[in-house]
Amino acid sequence: MILEIENLTKTYQNHVALRNINLNIKKGGIFGLLGPNGAGKTSLIRILTNITEADSGTILFNGVPINQNHIYQMGYLPEERGLYKKMTVKDQLLYFAELKGLQNKEAKIRLKYWVDKFEIKDWLGKKVEELSKGMQQKVQFIATVLHQPSLIILDEPFSGFDPINAQLLVDEILQLKANGATIIFSTHRMDSVELLCDQIALINKSEKILDGSVNEIQQQFKQHKFALKYHGQVLLNDHLFKISKETESNGIHTCLLELNNAMTNNQILQALLQKNISILSFGEQLPSMEEIFIQAVNQKSNSNLHA
Amino acid sequence: MHKIFLICKREYLSRVKKRSFLLMTLLSPLLIALFYGMIFYFSINKNITEEKKTILVCDESGRFENKLENSKLVHFQYKQLKPAAFEKTLNESGIEGILWVRDSASNLSYELIAKEQVGIGLTNTIENKLEKIIKNEALAAKGINETTLDEINNLSVNINTQIKTKIGFEKSNSDASSILGFLGAFLIYFFIFLYGVQIMKGVIEEKTNRIVEVIISSVKPFQLMMGKIIGIALVGITQFAIWIILIMVFSGSVTSIIQNQMQLNSAALQGIEGAGQGAQNMNLDILQGFSQFNIPLLLLYFLFYFIGGYLFYGALFAAIGSAVDSETDTQQFMMPITLPLIFSIVFAQHIINDPNSSLSIWLSMIPFSSPIIMMVRLPFGIPPEQIALSMICLVIGFMSTVWFAGKIYRIGILTYGKKPSYKEIFKWLFRKN
Repeated sequence: MILEIENLTKTYQNHVALRNINLNIKKGGIFGLLGPNGAGKTSLIRILTNITEADSGTILFNGVPINQNHIYQMGYLPEERGLYKKMTVKDQLLYFAELKGLQNKEAKIRLKYWVDKFEIKDWLGKKVEELSKGMQQKVQFIATVLHQPSLIILDEPFSGFDPINAQLLVDEILQLKANGATIIFSTHRMDSVELLCDQIALINKSEKILDGSVNEIQQQFKQHKFALKYHGQVLLNDHLFKISKETESNGIHTCLLELNNAMTNNQILQALLQKNISILSFGEQLPSMEEIFIQAVNQKSNSNLHA
Repeated sequence: MHKIFLICKREYLSRVKKRSFLLMTLLSPLLIALFYGMIFYFSINKNITEEKKTILVCDESGRFENKLENSKLVHFQYKQLKPAAFEKTLNESGIEGILWVRDSASNLSYELIAKEQVGIGLTNTIENKLEKIIKNEALAAKGINETTLDEINNLSVNINTQIKTKIGFEKSNSDASSILGFLGAFLIYFFIFLYGVQIMKGVIEEKTNRIVEVIISSVKPFQLMMGKIIGIALVGITQFAIWIILIMVFSGSVTSIIQNQMQLNSAALQGIEGAGQGAQNMNLDILQGFSQFNIPLLLLYFLFYFIGGYLFYGALFAAIGSAVDSETDTQQFMMPITLPLIFSIVFAQHIINDPNSSLSIWLSMIPFSSPIIMMVRLPFGIPPEQIALSMICLVIGFMSTVWFAGKIYRIGILTYGKKPSYKEIFKWLFRKN
């Protein structure tokens, strides 16, 4: 575990930002911190990055209570980006690297790697204010990872990125993961993380409502729905499954099967093969993160009501 | 410490490397010299700014006929005219006005009839010239001739002050002390303002650009604040050092030019009318007066009070910058900081008149005013125990404002949105991180 968070609570003057948060984040891999705006994600990140202090609770970093020196192993890309407008790209990147404890010489070597990678050699001597927005975001990203942090925290990393740069960012994130870094990825756009994240935690109204690996959570919340495309005789509801969202075009039918009883996928296929249809495609319909979130929030509020 | 150094280095280099820094450092003394040079030049050569004017004197009494002194600016012509002809004469000749001296039963009254509003300078000049003639006539009537009068007019008094020092009584020059004191006080006043505002702008820039969040994740807010304050102070000191070097390089030649000029002038004046020697002597006295000061020691004091005062106010400027989102919101918070500064510079003029009054002593102990007030008083000589106490007060003062500002700063830089009230800022002082 790179991070073990226990009973973390943070209150601002008159509202609770985080309430008894417990979270374990595995070393390596991408961890998604999901929740709507104002849920407490940024408050949590600010505590992890040493910007503010928690009221109570403990955080272990690699098994040791977190302290000032750990910030050298962290890279933080805040939601609100910012660079010194009048400073050149090179000076700026070296400055941030040195603040993160890198020697000037070492920083220059690492900078060269990223400069080659992002092909920004011609931009090094330019002031940040002369750069396009996309270019500034690249610079900001380099500033986040230049000191080779083992924990990288990205707060809404895709906001403001165009599709090309967003893809570039995804590639870099995957590369960093392959190199062994742990990435915490905070966002309110839940659709963007399903493919990227290994593990997630859902936060709503200052409380953690769910966490685990993406696969497990999807299995846990799946509603045994299957998408089916076929042609032939139209399928009707029977004792095995309900048919819904039936559409037809050019003799090809698309529909959603909802199981009445638990069955394995093989059993469903066997049952379907006995029908007078030819199957074009068949696949289990897993719930989207958004659906899971809504369901989890409802469950939580129901259990709160009953309690 | 290493972090503060890094921040300090960035603040320093990013300012000193700018082309405008070098330009302003070199140009501003030139501009100031040019500015004062022009005032000096125009005050000596008045005829450049004012045109020569001709006044027609219509003197009923006949007492001033051909006696009014012509000068560079006013030229007198004499002619008897009937009042009815005034308007025609004014319109047809190029004269500025008609001085009509009316004589009714030996009571003289004077009227200046002019085409347009005349300057107060012109009426004063004419009044003085008329007065001089009347007074001379009156004195002559009492038996005093012109030579005696000149002798009396050339009498002048110049006090040489001697003050008690460790090695007995020494000559002092309060004019030179005043000039030096004011110079130091103004420099500190401007530096605090100039660089204090730079701190504030720097903090606001970091806050509005949201850079602060990245930096605060690597350094403590206090380190960021101190790095910035010290970095900008070094910019000021660099600028000042460049000026001192420039002054040392040029002052030798300039002083000798001024002295030559003055000697020439006084020689010339003596040659012409033998007057004005007293005034010239006084100027030379002031110049010589400067040599009596222990300039390196005064510079050291200046540096101390400059740094102390700057830290004292700079921390407060940093706190303001952190509390607001944009420069337009700073006005309300600037007031309580700028008022004591302005008060001190206003009081400085009273302090000059009485450098050792109890008001002077109190103001030089209070850190809000001491940097400026002490600059004014130091050239007059102050007991060492007072200097020590004032310095200790200033050190305690800036340590408290730095502490106070640090508390506000750490909360302020991460607080966006509504402009906070004084009450809220006060609460920040006691809030946990």
